[in-house]
Amino acid sequence: MKGKVIRNQRLNDKYYFLEIKSEEFVRSVKVGQFLMIKPSSNDYTHDPLLRRPLGVADVNGDRFSLVYMVVGKGTKLLSEFHEGGTIEFSNPLGNSFTMNENKRVALVAGGIGIAPVYWLAKTLKDRGCVVDLYYGGRTVDDVVLLEELKENTDHLIVTTDDGSAGIRGFVTVPFKENVESYDIVYTCGPKGMLEAVSGICVSAGIPVEVSLDERMACGLGACLGCIIYVKEGDDVVQKRCCVEGPVFDGAKVAWDRLK
Amino acid sequence: MSDRLKTTFCGVEFKNPIITASGTFGYGLEYANHIDIGRLGGISVKGISLREVQGNPMPRIMETTSGMLNAIGLQNVGVVKFIKEKLPELRKYDTKVIVNFWGKTVDEYIEVAQILDDADVDMLEMNISCPNIKEGGIAFGTDPKMTYEVTSRVKKVVQNKPLMVKLSPNVTNIRVFAKACEDAGADAISAINTLLGMSVNIHTRKPNIFNVTGGLSGPAIKPVAIRMVHEVFRTVKIPVMGIGGIMDWRDVVEFSLVGAGAMQVGTANFVDPNIPLKIIDDLEKYLADNNIANLSELTGTVDLSR
Repeated sequence: MKGKVIRNQRLNDKYYFLEIKSEEFVRSVKVGQFLMIKPSSNDYTHDPLLRRPLGVADVNGDRFSLVYMVVGKGTKLLSEFHEGGTIEFSNPLGNSFTMNENKRVALVAGGIGIAPVYWLAKTLKDRGCVVDLYYGGRTVDDVVLLEELKENTDHLIVTTDDGSAGIRGFVTVPFKENVESYDIVYTCGPKGMLEAVSGICVSAGIPVEVSLDERMACGLGACLGCIIYVKEGDDVVQKRCCVEGPVFDGAKVAWDRLK
Repeated sequence: MSDRLKTTFCGVEFKNPIITASGTFGYGLEYANHIDIGRLGGISVKGISLREVQGNPMPRIMETTSGMLNAIGLQNVGVVKFIKEKLPELRKYDTKVIVNFWGKTVDEYIEVAQILDDADVDMLEMNISCPNIKEGGIAFGTDPKMTYEVTSRVKKVVQNKPLMVKLSPNVTNIRVFAKACEDAGADAISAINTLLGMSVNIHTRKPNIFNVTGGLSGPAIKPVAIRMVHEVFRTVKIPVMGIGGIMDWRDVVEFSLVGAGAMQVGTANFVDPNIPLKIIDDLEKYLADNNIANLSELTGTVDLSR
């Protein structure tokens, strides 16, 4: 698919917000899905070669948004797309978050894990849920879009490792204090955080959905480069993050097998 | 579509010479939701073994300059499940099915080949060149005597299907291996498999792939593949299927000029699943524009005069 870049806005030294117009994409995308995006508009070079997997962060009318962090060659090139330019990407890929109505929901996001959580918060609010967002980062530069998030949640609790924004410390600390008050928890971020959040939820007997991120070549289930290990009864089985995920039951992920 | 792309390879009639390469296209079905796989000349499915294989621990892949490293470890569902669950679905599409297969021992190669010889498939591709697991055939693909032994013994039990052998580029002289295959009765050669590579994360100082080394693929390896197909074509009489870094129709023409009778598109399928179909359309246009009745007119016609 192709779309038109509406804006590719620098949020801070690391983070960008990319809005793309594509009726075709918006028509079928579900909350929690991702896409593979071509990081360069140059058809005459094959470097970088692969598309980049990014979680869909929002949908508005015929437009969708991505939030990404510049970490390497691909995302650096992505940050250089100009307004009005044409950008290529895949169909919406992967499974989606389970939708709930009129529930008490906690969202726990770490760093760039905010991307799919942003759209999820809005969607759950629209469905009558009470939505609290626990959002952690290393520093003030790792927590973005705070104004927009405040508007779309009932409570926004921000933490940073160094205390440069919100509460100092890990996001799991305030979340753990309140976990009992929720019907369901959704989380996206670094694996260590996802494992901790899942552990807290399992102990409290509350369902938890985690959105996982792995290196991917195809995003279609063919390359087998993005394996996730999941418990099924007494067995641990392999799942493809791109097709059977990226959303998994946090209680069933075999965290000790994920690096 | 005209007949410009019709390709006969080892007696198998392909509607075009564009075949998706093993390990990059799953069992074909993974792509059926994204492209019309019935337009492909053929599909070479993920390497099949006697029993189901789980593959290597993660991380398994890493992008490199104009290429990627992988060490998946030949993960597959096993030959029985493949024939029962995957093949009937794949057969619903109008495309040729090539089954890539491998074993840990000569006896395993024979056993899988025997089963596949009686299955509803068009061609067998014997993998003696996966660099990612010790027993995954690389031992057979880097010693000409063993290449001859496994090929000749498998050929004895393959009665109904053409047998193509996929060669490793991780050898000093690929001609010796091509000759060993031909002498052992192989019907065709496919070349090349991935080049053994490695990359290290300078911050963690660890290899980027769990297996330490992986197979390099993508446009980065194309010149090596072109050279090797050229060498194989000029060494043996059996046909050669060219593989290695094909991204567009120009690459296909280049492989044709050095002798490839058909081509496999691999890593490009990861980059964009539409690439093989675009290649078919572009190739058709190129042949029409240049009044070439069939791509085979170009096979091996590289001009080496000085």
